[in-house]
Amino acid sequence: MYDNFLLKQKIFSKKVGLLLILILGITVFSFAQVRTIKGVVTASDTKETLPGATIVIKGTKTGTVTDLDGKYSITAITDKAVLVFSYVGYTTKEVDIGNQTVVDVQLDFKKTTLDEVVVIGYGTVRKSDLSGSVGSVKSEDIIKITALNPVQSLQGKVAGVQVTSTSGVPGESPIVRIRGVGTFNSSSPIYVVDGIIMEGIAYLNSADITSMEVLKDASATAIYGSRGANGVIMVTTKQGKIGQEKTTFNFTGETGMQNLAKKINLLNGHDFAMISNEIKPGSFNNIDAVPNTDWQKLIFHTAPIYNFQLSASGSTKSMQYYISGGYFRQEGIIEKSKYERITLQLNNTYLLSPFVKLGNTLTLSPYMQRVAPNVTYSAYRANPTLSPYYADGTFAAVPGVGNPLADLAYSNNFNKGIKGIGSLFTEISFLKSFTVKSSFDIDAAYNKSENFTPAFTVYNADGTISQQQHLLSTLSKGFNDNLTWIWENTLTYQKEIKKHSVNAVFGYTMQNTSSTAMGMVGSNILRDDPNFWFILPNNIYDPANGVNNINSIYDRVDINLNYSMISYLLRVNYVFNNRYILTATFRSDGSSKFSENNRYANFPSFAAAWNVSQEKFMKEIKFISKLKLRGSWGKLGNDKIPYNRRYAQVQSNIITIFGTDGSPNSGASYGLNGNPDLKWEVTTQTDFGLETGLFNDRLTVECDYYNKKTDDILIDLSTPGYYGNGPNQKVTYNAASVINRGFEFTLGWRDQVGKVKYNFSINGTTIHNEVLKIGGSSGVDSVLIGGYMGNGIPVTRSRVGLPIGAFYGYKTDGIFQSQAELDAYPHDAQAGVGDLRFVDVNGDGKIDGNDRTYIGSPIPGFIFGCNFGLEFKGLDFSFNIQGQTGNKIFNAKDVVRPDPYNFESNVLNRWTGPGTSTTEPRASFGGYNYSPSDHFIQDGSFIRLRNIILGYTLPAAWSNKITMQTIRVYIKADNLYTLTKYNGYTPEIASGDVIGNGIDNGIYPITAIFSFGVNLNF
Amino acid sequence: MKILAKILFVIPATILLLVSPGCKKFLQKDLQSQLTQQSFPTTAADALLATNASYEILRDWYYNSGGYPILDIMSDDARKGSNPGDQLNYVGPYDVFTFSATQDGLDRWWNTLYVGVKRTNVVIQFVPDIQMDDALKTRYVAEAKFIRGLLYFDFVRAWGGVPLVTTVNPPQHLTRASKEDVYALIISDLQFAADHLPMRSEYIAADLGRATKGAAQALLARVYLFMHDNVNAEQYALDVINSNQYVLEPVYADANGVNGNNGMESVLEVGAIQVENTDGGGAQYGNVQGVRGTPNKGWGFNRPSVDLRNSFESGDTRYKGTVIDLGDTLDGVVILGDGTTPDVTKDDLGNIIEVECYSRKVWVPGDNVTTQWGFHRRLIRYADVLLMAAEALNENGKQSEALTYLNMVRARARQGNTNILPDITTTNQTELRDIIFNERRHELAMEGWRFWDLVRTGRAVQVLGPLGFISGKHELLPVPQSEIDISQGSLVQNPNW
Repeated sequence: MYDNFLLKQKIFSKKVGLLLILILGITVFSFAQVRTIKGVVTASDTKETLPGATIVIKGTKTGTVTDLDGKYSITAITDKAVLVFSYVGYTTKEVDIGNQTVVDVQLDFKKTTLDEVVVIGYGTVRKSDLSGSVGSVKSEDIIKITALNPVQSLQGKVAGVQVTSTSGVPGESPIVRIRGVGTFNSSSPIYVVDGIIMEGIAYLNSADITSMEVLKDASATAIYGSRGANGVIMVTTKQGKIGQEKTTFNFTGETGMQNLAKKINLLNGHDFAMISNEIKPGSFNNIDAVPNTDWQKLIFHTAPIYNFQLSASGSTKSMQYYISGGYFRQEGIIEKSKYERITLQLNNTYLLSPFVKLGNTLTLSPYMQRVAPNVTYSAYRANPTLSPYYADGTFAAVPGVGNPLADLAYSNNFNKGIKGIGSLFTEISFLKSFTVKSSFDIDAAYNKSENFTPAFTVYNADGTISQQQHLLSTLSKGFNDNLTWIWENTLTYQKEIKKHSVNAVFGYTMQNTSSTAMGMVGSNILRDDPNFWFILPNNIYDPANGVNNINSIYDRVDINLNYSMISYLLRVNYVFNNRYILTATFRSDGSSKFSENNRYANFPSFAAAWNVSQEKFMKEIKFISKLKLRGSWGKLGNDKIPYNRRYAQVQSNIITIFGTDGSPNSGASYGLNGNPDLKWEVTTQTDFGLETGLFNDRLTVECDYYNKKTDDILIDLSTPGYYGNGPNQKVTYNAASVINRGFEFTLGWRDQVGKVKYNFSINGTTIHNEVLKIGGSSGVDSVLIGGYMGNGIPVTRSRVGLPIGAFYGYKTDGIFQSQAELDAYPHDAQAGVGDLRFVDVNGDGKIDGNDRTYIGSPIPGFIFGCNFGLEFKGLDFSFNIQGQTGNKIFNAKDVVRPDPYNFESNVLNRWTGPGTSTTEPRASFGGYNYSPSDHFIQDGSFIRLRNIILGYTLPAAWSNKITMQTIRVYIKADNLYTLTKYNGYTPEIASGDVIGNGIDNGIYPITAIFSFGVNLNF
Repeated sequence: MKILAKILFVIPATILLLVSPGCKKFLQKDLQSQLTQQSFPTTAADALLATNASYEILRDWYYNSGGYPILDIMSDDARKGSNPGDQLNYVGPYDVFTFSATQDGLDRWWNTLYVGVKRTNVVIQFVPDIQMDDALKTRYVAEAKFIRGLLYFDFVRAWGGVPLVTTVNPPQHLTRASKEDVYALIISDLQFAADHLPMRSEYIAADLGRATKGAAQALLARVYLFMHDNVNAEQYALDVINSNQYVLEPVYADANGVNGNNGMESVLEVGAIQVENTDGGGAQYGNVQGVRGTPNKGWGFNRPSVDLRNSFESGDTRYKGTVIDLGDTLDGVVILGDGTTPDVTKDDLGNIIEVECYSRKVWVPGDNVTTQWGFHRRLIRYADVLLMAAEALNENGKQSEALTYLNMVRARARQGNTNILPDITTTNQTELRDIIFNERRHELAMEGWRFWDLVRTGRAVQVLGPLGFISGKHELLPVPQSEIDISQGSLVQNPNW
């Protein structure tokens, strides 16, 4: 066994060394022959050869696989031997060899995906035996999208799943919401990668993933108990295929260019001068002579993106292996932003005996992120009549905003780190029906942030010092480490007796997560050179040079990543006669985040399904190939709160000054009260689903109704003043409820016309999100205020009867056209003719803060996706469309303006006299018209051509000549076109803060990417 | 292989059995790098920390009536200040009595006072059980009770009866105690403090600023004046005077200035250092009122009113000790003022209604903001004790004794110039009452007493009526609306609000 392994290794290194010129043979393992049978295995539909097909002599362990040309040879002992031919995705075929020496076989493509195996929590299940709602995306779709984070590929692919980019910052992860927003706390799903529970998968290379399954309903997620309420995304990484003894190499190289997908229409120098003169006459003497600076053009440029990966996989009789290395690099379209990542993946399974497996998965992922300052916002606001540089080449001052180019020039902001995920597991089968599995997993990460700003000064045109100045150079550093270990033990029982099939899993798991953070700031660094980016004692405290950064030093645990858990889980799946399916799931979670009384919580779920198409009476209805009805109910939890919320804390940094010379004396006293009664948030979810396949599964339909109600949501509430918590301090309570309900559907059509294979699918989800309760019996706040704009003014209020994070402000009702109209309506003292007319919502005859009201929801009512694929001979073509409707965007970047900032071009349609406009008020640099109102609310609906690919696979004959199994080249485009009314860079405006969603404070735009790639199998 | 299988099976099972009993401990994550309330205070060192922390609330910005000196702004002594638009909607309404129960600042003041109450309750409730030096233990509790009395006295003057919290964890849905119950607690706390606190001279220099017997007695005198109990007021004021612990600063400006920090006239004072943040030891009280513009000392709120400026007796040295005018030079710094503030503001008829000037009472030498953070706010001055004694004695029919103390205050203000501020000689009680009241205005102007003096003597509506004061309403502040909302109606609003 070991020798074999070494031999493999040798071959492997040889292959890599010779890469494209070495001809690969697989006859290395041939031994003495009694009688040899040869042949070719081809596909019945395409007539193409099938390399890697498995041939086994029935009843023995003797077997082989076909070579690159689909050829095989095998040694048989008797004439009575039966050869079993199998190939993934094709129907297995048995052939009596008789006295033949050449056996050519055609395998039929399996049209139905009925018996697709789906990964679920702590096990797998045949899709037909599944009683829950699970969406699945396979490898080929995952690699289509050019993105750092594999979860981006779920966008528009799975009903009920909303994936929204937060910005185009290289390395930024998208926000994922499954079936709406169920809590005021973190509403992100958990990820389970090869059984390891984690918070995100940005460290994973898409090419290393076999499949991603989204567990949506209670039946599927309740096995994850307290962490299942926001849904679960199961990720399975690749493994060597059993029986595929030949090592398969796969190389993908892709390179692309990124562009700004859309510019914002801002005023040019001339128009800005014209408007300025209108607001403040005499601002510009000759508006035709003012310079024009297109700040957007100055900060954005095209930038490359690269993605390479090489993997090798296969198996021997005693092991399966998959090893890969990947390199991803994305330069930002704004200078000084980029992301680089290396991924190493090593998955091995050792078959120690027919009953014992040992294995490991290991991912190492070092990365480097460079973050640019938010110059998108300053370029948006910068005065277009100002030049970026003075005649002598130095940076020119840009009042109120700062020169974006200077910000960029002096920015050096890095995040560097490594993430390592590893797992060792053993799986032992005994007494035929039992399997015990134990795995120990490590999830470790280290991050170092480094931010250096040199001393610099930007001067005003008159030589005085502008606001853009940094007197002493500063270097701030932060170090974060975290370590999670998970130990999971499961016992599985699987038995089929006649028509009864039972699958039961019992498990016990432990997890510990800890994380610390440490950091400091240094000033007056000796040199600007990166070689000097180290903090010395005199960079922390040196009064002579004005350095005092003592208060910048911190050393603490990460309050969100400091907890331990113990869980018990049980699932029983019972199937009778392939028709009736019952599933019961139970998980009991204990968490250190809660005090002993509330430490454990139980999360049950029940589901039933009926494979109607298996009934006799359905056999007559030929066009229905599949029909399943299912329903589920269950309770799930959410525990995403800081570990210290239950503790009543002592504040120990209190200083009192005594004595004639004023000496600080230390003090300590009770700080914020804790809430020892904190408990889990509980989500109760009900789901009814229908799955059907028509016309031999060419048309597939899956529909679900879901109803997800979350109670006991943990929110921070004001407490009575006499508790002594202090002004503006809040304590966490279980005191809110939210409901999400809606329908999901997926329609698929898949067929073949002649040599053209094509498929088309469309999915959609409706979301009704509503706050049912806030505060209540705790006697505290009935609204949650959030969604802060750049100037600190909040624009969302969540209250009963409205969606989470609903926008809040004045309703407008036209423009005051005349003094008479102004006098006739209630108005704010500052309002004048030509200004927005705010609605007197409460009808008290005056306009004040009480007239602010609900002005829109950031949550879409409908999200959808559409996918099309076509294959003809070697050509393949596919595209993916994705979008949403019904959500609003608050264009906050336009609202915050105390100074003369540039305007969006809609100001050109402003009111200039009676009847000139009923929507755009007269121009002003700030004030009344910029109070948060629905004037700044825009429709956030969009349809986006997310991805389009054209590929060509060279004929096998050609590729085989250069020893390649397959060669595919492709071109593709991401974010090619977006149809939207929103006039910002992108209508995708997301925030992890659920009450601060859909607010455009000036984000780094996402990009359009054009790329070219090549994929080699050899 | 079979053996291996067994081993591999047995190992997890064994560990499972071994580990399960340890679950409870495994799921216990204690608070890191922070004490919990279960473990504090338990030692003599803790007792000192908890006591020190009780004082800190007096340096908290919001302790000063929620941040801005609204009490002077509500009086006839001061206007909002700063430039005309600054905080117009937040602080402006106090100037003209248009504020409401949701007015900015009220909730901060209310909440901050209770933070202080909580800190004192920590000492009062837990320190007695700590094994430590008994004398020190008693002193700590007395210090805490003194501060608790001081805080509740703020409460009762501002709002009348409030929820009376005397334990660290009060029950839910407390209602407002009666005004009398609040006063009863204040008296008992302060009497305990007066009985057990050391005299000023018994503290070492480094401890000056801690509560003293004299401070407790002086505060009792003040409390009794507000309760209209002149007999007790007289006794406690005289106790302070006769203790011979205090004398007047020779120079009036030093009574609030840096030269008098923890000086001979200081009965109760809030220490601060020149650091531009509260956590680091600075105090924002002076910064809020400091000269705006050039030199940039602060925000320039609480501007001495034209009425106050014109009310000083001719030649009174206290005018310059109270008002900084543009063009003045203080400690070598020329006051130029603020570009966005009109030097003189006139009404439609051409009458001067506001003159750009600043409060001298918070002046700290220096030309920058940081210096201003080092201002020590005086909560009780000896001059105030003398005037309280004079007031109480006059009410109790002892006019000649009253004149002695009144004239001590005037003598210092005279600064040896015999042509000004002649001694008062009248023994007519009514006449003398008005004279003492007027003397309080000029001695204690801009120090936060005027509004409450007007209210407690029933003169408020007469003096402040033209400014918007409504009798039966503005004697008390409205309970912050947020507190009424949170209590779900357990707390009842003051009348007419």
